Formats: sequence, structure tokens, C-alpha cells
Amino acid sequence: MPPRIRLRPHALRLRIAAPSSSPLCATYASLATATTPAPSIDPTRAAAPILRYPPTQPPSHKPPEVRKTQLHRTYQSVLKSSPLILLFQHNNVKAVEWMSIRRELATALRKLDAERAKNGHEDLIGDQIKFQVITTNIFASALRVVEFFKPEENTMDRVQHSTDPRTATSAQIPQTSNSPEDEAFKHGLSKRAWEVASNRKLKSELEPLLSGPLAILTFPDVSPQYLKAVLSIVAPSPPNFPAPKRKANPSYFEPEVQSGLQKLMLLGARVEGKVFDTEGTRWVGGIDGGIDGLRAQLVHMLQGVGGALTGALEGASKSLYFTVEGRRMDMEEKAKDDKPAE
Amino acid sequence: MITRFLTDVRVKFNPFSPRAKPARLFLSLIPPNARADGMKVETKMLPRTSTEPATLDVKFKDGKELKLELDKMRIPEVMEEVDRHSRMLARKEELTGN
Repeated sequence: MPPRIRLRPHALRLRIAAPSSSPLCATYASLATATTPAPSIDPTRAAAPILRYPPTQPPSHKPPEVRKTQLHRTYQSVLKSSPLILLFQHNNVKAVEWMSIRRELATALRKLDAERAKNGHEDLIGDQIKFQVITTNIFASALRVVEFFKPEENTMDRVQHSTDPRTATSAQIPQTSNSPEDEAFKHGLSKRAWEVASNRKLKSELEPLLSGPLAILTFPDVSPQYLKAVLSIVAPSPPNFPAPKRKANPSYFEPEVQSGLQKLMLLGARVEGKVFDTEGTRWVGGIDGGIDGLRAQLVHMLQGVGGALTGALEGASKSLYFTVEGRRMDMEEKAKDDKPAE
Repeated sequence: MITRFLTDVRVKFNPFSPRAKPARLFLSLIPPNARADGMKVETKMLPRTSTEPATLDVKFKDGKELKLELDKMRIPEVMEEVDRHSRMLARKEELTGN
């Protein structure tokens, strides 16, 4: 059967040939264009909301297939997930030297892990401590996003309730569109995150450190004990963080390790959002016994305070008691003296 | 930068000052084998609160010493200053045929 509405190739050609007066308002580069949901069969119910992007890949402001964007995302996650980060400058460290430094670090951490396991500690983070070279400028940008972009509400906050009778689905789907400009997005690659981070008036404390070739050593937990082990390998300083002895650890004194360590400079640290210089980092590493040690110190201090406080509070009543008692004794004596006179 | 005539490099800077950038970049310009080939490199990190200017002391093979205050310079200027004497030494070496 021929089509009811006849195609007129003649008219089509004319339209293509004539330049369209209205500018192109929307173009989709990707193949997965947003499609409107088909109207639902039951007219009393609203159409079920659909998610227009994969749930783990919300639309990104910068092209997501580029390495830079992915690095930016990775650095954001590193910054958010590691409360303790050591910053190093590496001056032309060779690949062999990197390899040997990482090996020494791994052996020292494994040793510490074994020791802690023997003492009955649960949190062994030795194998999660990583030493990686970073792309300085992308890291700086990721740091700005992490420090200054603090979305108040989650994307899932304005979701319809799963038992809402008005929709046909119980799936919770964020009411966001497919464009990265949507204000509802809260992820670090969204347009709003980019806008907040590119505000040059906001100054991060770590900013002056972020130039030149950098490497970061990330810890998943603030643990002075691990920090001490790491510092004594990577940036030894004799009294508190001595390098391992030549007899105990001969591989540490191989020329590759030593020449690599000469070229690494500890610049500072970021501990739970605060920035420390070299001295401060050593101070954090020098806390005896880690968090347990600190707790013990605090308990000790509070006990001392409690003793002093009760002493001070008792003092007033004691002195009052003594005065009153003294007065009573005085009066009694007087009364005794008065009696024989009668 | 010509680094083969340097025997001794001493750098002092406060990494938290934005003016420490040339000092740090100068260190990153030293080739990977320089320390093994006998160049002495000493870095001194100042504490965060210090306002001392970043300084660079360089000694050349012929014994000349060069002291630079890095806080008002940029890295091309630093390289130029150091290279000026190095080029002279290079020419001298070329003429004597060693």
C-alpha cells in the first residue's frame, strides 16, 4: 500500500537547500539522546520518571572521555578518602628509584602490620598507603573543588517517595535532566562544582605548595604510628625518625634507594583538611601510641583536673568548717571559763 | 640549564611562600645523575612562619661562588644568571681542548 501522505522529494530538497533562518538550538553529540517517555497507558497516573544517564555516570561539565577529567575525578576521590596526605616534591627521580623506594616502603609497612597484628590491633592499613606522582595543576583544581564545593543537599533528597501513589514506579530516581548545567547535580564534575572552584577569590591554604613536580603519599586513616614508619623511610631525621639500620635492612642502603631519597623533598602535609609544614608533620608522627596514646593522655589529664577541682571545691567548705569549728571550740572554752566563776 | 660546571648547590626556602617557586623549580632542573657525579645539593626547608627570603648559593668548578636572592626573580632569570658563568667555563674548556 502506498503511504497515505505522499512524500514529495521535490519539497524536501527545497527545504534543505534554503538556509534555515532560525539557529540550531540544540544538538546532541552523543548517540544516547534524551528521549521523552511515552505517555502512560493509564491516564490517571503520571508517567514514571526515568533516569536519563547511567546512575554511576552523571553528566560531566568537561568532556568525560578525556584523561584530564578522569584524573580530576580520581584526585577528588583521593582527597576525600584520605584524611592524611603527605606532599613531596620529586626532582627527576628515575623509574628504578621510584620502584626501589616503593619497595622499601612496602616492606616497612608490612613489618609494622605484622607487629600490630601480633599486638591484637584490628586496623591494619599498611597495604593501602600509596605513593603516587600527581599532575600538579589538575590536583590543585580537584583540591579547590573538594575544599570549596560543599553542596548542602544530596541529589536524592528531592526524589519522590517509593510508595507515592501518583507514579507507576517505586524506583527512586533523581529529578535531574541530562545536561551538566542542571543545578541539582552535586557531583564534583558538575558545572556548579566547576563554577565554585574557579572562583579565584577563594584561597586554599595548600595553594602555594602546589607548583613544580609533586608526589603524594596517601593514608586512609590518621595513624601516627604508620606516619612514623613512613617518615623514617622516606624522610628520615635522626632523633625521632631514624632510618633503619644497615644491618637490619641492607636493601634500604642500595644506591638506587639512597639516590632516590636525596631527590625527594617533604614539603608538607594535609591532615584532616588542615595544612601542616614539615615540623608539624613530624609532630603528628611523633604522637606516642597514636590515638590510643592520646586518649590515655587525655584521661590522665582529666583525672588530674578532677582531683584539683574537688580539692578547690572542698577547700572553701573545709575552711568554713574549720572556722566554725574553731569558733565553737572557742565558745565552749569561754563557757567553761564562765561556769567556774559562778 | 648548563649544570655540568656546578659543584655545590645550596637552596634555602620556605615552601609555603609563593616566592619559593623559583627555588623549587631550580632544584627540579638538576639532572637525575648530578648527585651521583659529585654535585653537592643541600636543601634547607624553612618553617612555615618564617619570612626569610629564598636564597640560592652556587659554587662552580673554578671556585667562583654565586649568591642569589630568589624571592624577586623568576626561573628564566635565575637560569640566565647561572648560565652566564657556565657558558664562559664551557668556552674555556672547548679552547683548551679537554
